[in-house]
Amino acid sequence: MSVKNTYSSKSDAKEAVLEISDGFKDFENKMILYFASSNYDLEGMGKEMKKAFPDSEIFGCSTAGEITSGEVLKNSVVAMSFDSGTVEDVKIEVVKKIKEENNVKKAFEGFESYYGGKMSEMDVEKYVGIILADGLTCAEEKLMDTIGDLTNVTFIGGSAGDDLKFKQTWVFADGKVYSDVAVLVLVKCKKGFDVIKSQSFKVTDKKLVATKVDEDNRKVLEFNDRPAVEAYAEVVGAKSDKAADHFMNHPVGLMVGGEPYVRSPQLIEDKSIKFYCKVKQGAELRLLASTDIVKDTKKSVKSKIDELGGVTAILNFHCILRTLELEKLKQTDAYGAIFKDIPTIGFSTYGEEYVGHINQTSTMLVFK
Amino acid sequence: MAGKIKQMIDEIVSQRSKGNTTIARLTKAKLILKGIDPDNYDDNAEDDDDIIGKLRAIADENNIQL
Repeated sequence: MSVKNTYSSKSDAKEAVLEISDGFKDFENKMILYFASSNYDLEGMGKEMKKAFPDSEIFGCSTAGEITSGEVLKNSVVAMSFDSGTVEDVKIEVVKKIKEENNVKKAFEGFESYYGGKMSEMDVEKYVGIILADGLTCAEEKLMDTIGDLTNVTFIGGSAGDDLKFKQTWVFADGKVYSDVAVLVLVKCKKGFDVIKSQSFKVTDKKLVATKVDEDNRKVLEFNDRPAVEAYAEVVGAKSDKAADHFMNHPVGLMVGGEPYVRSPQLIEDKSIKFYCKVKQGAELRLLASTDIVKDTKKSVKSKIDELGGVTAILNFHCILRTLELEKLKQTDAYGAIFKDIPTIGFSTYGEEYVGHINQTSTMLVFK
Repeated sequence: MAGKIKQMIDEIVSQRSKGNTTIARLTKAKLILKGIDPDNYDDNAEDDDDIIGKLRAIADENNIQL
């Protein structure tokens, strides 16, 4: 066995870590990843994790809900431990002050010095990056853009949550707990990796061009040279004052190679629409229409397993908007069941990271 | 004048990917997320100074000589 996953729903951080460490007893525990509800004493949990696993590389983040094999949880902590059969080597870097600054280059210098090679020349089949970012900084696009400029290595991950309080999110590294930070982790995989990006939308032929934007605040002021909310309401077939009712089932997609990179509207401000990620000036977006999350995810996961002939483990970065929709449709258990027989952990994110910052997906790192 | 934008995009994709089709696809995706869709520019596309400037900046960030 080269990975183990476990969870605890005990509300006391110390007891929860005890339960986790019990699950990882007599295992190599080279790298441990954990996702924990923001309702825990996270600082205390970090210290307990470090105490329980002093020789392991430990990182993770706070959540808006947790996922483990077969179950979707709340107010819990999920954890996965990797031995050297899956993770040959790992280096964790903490990128601080992500809101105001951009210190990705410094983190990359750390990777280069540790692995003894340039990030621009790393073997993209062997190395994979994991990114966990404070989910309330709006800095993910900037980070992913810089990462994409500096390397061809895939970085994949999610934005930390705080159980829908939208007050403060945390990322964890080596027993410490941070905000306004992203943790970048460069993993040297023993058997390789793959990626699943699953979104449940049909692409319609209705187009919205972002003709006036406030990029820094993730706002679109105008679509098609008209107030954003009016143009959106028209393509969705609603009155302007009811446009927000359609946000969940009709986000918009930036088309990349025939596949939508979902941009989810968050709220209406005056006649502008604020999104959960940046929309570039001039971006041509297609209106999307929701389909069946459980059916689509099941299909994506099965197809990847078939293609690879089995997988070792999955890290699932699952958008909170999908979690909410599954709850509304009473399909939460059916979603969890997709991962019943696969060592899996994940969390409900405030955004997913893959190539850029995206919304309303299950973006998964698959360890072969 | 026309065609310079496509030429610059092709050069960026080629230098980044070095023939690896997956990296070429991801480089194009990164360009789209930066606001430049390679599919919108062919040999006849007019040379737009704004786009050319953006591509020069992207090439600099990517350490690519155009």
